[in-house]
Amino acid sequence: MRELIPGVNVTDINDIDSKSRREFVKKALSGSALMLLVYAPGAAALHGRGTGWKQMSTEHRYAYVIDIHACIGWGGCIRACKQENHVPDNMFRTWLERYVITEDGEVYVDSPDGGLKGFPPLNDEIQSKTSISFFVPKMCNHCEHPPCVQVCPVGATFKSPEGFVLIDHAHCIGCAYCVQACPYGARFYNTEIGKSDKCSWCYHRVQDGKSPVCVEACPTGARKFGDLLDPDSDVAKILAGRQWAVLKPEVFTSPTCFYISLPHEVV
Amino acid sequence: MANPTPYSHLYRLGLVLITGLVLFMMIMIAQTPASWNYEVWYRGDALVEMKSIPIVYGGNESCVECHADEDEEMAEYAHKLLNCEGCHGPLTLHVQDGEKTADAVGKSDWQCLNCHQAQISNPLDYPQFPGDISKHENIKKNTLCVKCHAPHDPALSEEDEDEAMFEF
Repeated sequence: MRELIPGVNVTDINDIDSKSRREFVKKALSGSALMLLVYAPGAAALHGRGTGWKQMSTEHRYAYVIDIHACIGWGGCIRACKQENHVPDNMFRTWLERYVITEDGEVYVDSPDGGLKGFPPLNDEIQSKTSISFFVPKMCNHCEHPPCVQVCPVGATFKSPEGFVLIDHAHCIGCAYCVQACPYGARFYNTEIGKSDKCSWCYHRVQDGKSPVCVEACPTGARKFGDLLDPDSDVAKILAGRQWAVLKPEVFTSPTCFYISLPHEVV
Repeated sequence: MANPTPYSHLYRLGLVLITGLVLFMMIMIAQTPASWNYEVWYRGDALVEMKSIPIVYGGNESCVECHADEDEEMAEYAHKLLNCEGCHGPLTLHVQDGEKTADAVGKSDWQCLNCHQAQISNPLDYPQFPGDISKHENIKKNTLCVKCHAPHDPALSEEDEDEAMFEF
């Protein structure tokens, strides 16, 4: 101890002997270990509560594949979805985007009325400097770890055992929190029913042995839907080729909607 | 009269808290749906209800039930991959009050150009209008595609093409 200020004893770091230093390290380590013991199981129990696949079906696990190269942007999928699922005007469960990447690397994206009536040809000015252009169908990605499910305060949206992310409209209170949580902008507030709404992968059709209506409507096979547990399904074969990508992998939602020939400009 | 206990305010507070807790539990139990799945945290009946939503698009196999002849023809044609309802309207809506609901290709080219209007965004090998311009140079602005191209079988053989050139 040294008396730097009269009447006040200050411990100099050089005065601490190695034994008490070892004691300190021991105590600090055991303290951290205790913290981890208490905290880790609690955090693990809370983490992913109500999200992800807690009850995974052993019979079906569905996935969706979108082939950008095959899409011709005709919009039939959008029209079919609207009629099948009674989606109001100016709201979309699935929509088309047209990407134009110029020679300077500028990226233009448009989606006139969600691609409902197809796309008008590009104007000459943009067309003259276009390097590459393509259509991108977008929809709910039916994530394995859906942030929308995590934020729902009443448990109205959930991950079904076969992999569908669904909304229970009878239970939804219409707070639209999930609409904000979705990193893909795939959810919307349906003003006609006053609830959140989204793509359901046509749950009612799939349970009846049919494909989702957008898949049915696609003339070029740009949209495919199938069971990953069935090795003969289109989707299982495509994914076995390993040439797929997902949107926004950096948000760790693990989408089950996969893209083929996805240019890196697409977000 | 006995003196009131000095802790009476605490007892009262405790009573309020317990009543509140009991009320909360009662409301919670009453409001939780019977089929609630506590593990995944959703209403089990929701899946049953969603399954019973009526189907609007029947798929090509539903069209064949009435239109078997067209189906046999289509198997040979360039448009065989198309889904009938894409142009003719969904199964449950394609005829309303005895009238076809979809835009007929005989009245406008909207349905044709919807897919075949030349777009640089389309795949290169995709058939696009005007495509080979020499084959389309004779057509007028109001010429319908279906004048030469049958909607179910739009591909023309070379002889058909030669004939078509003189029709204008």
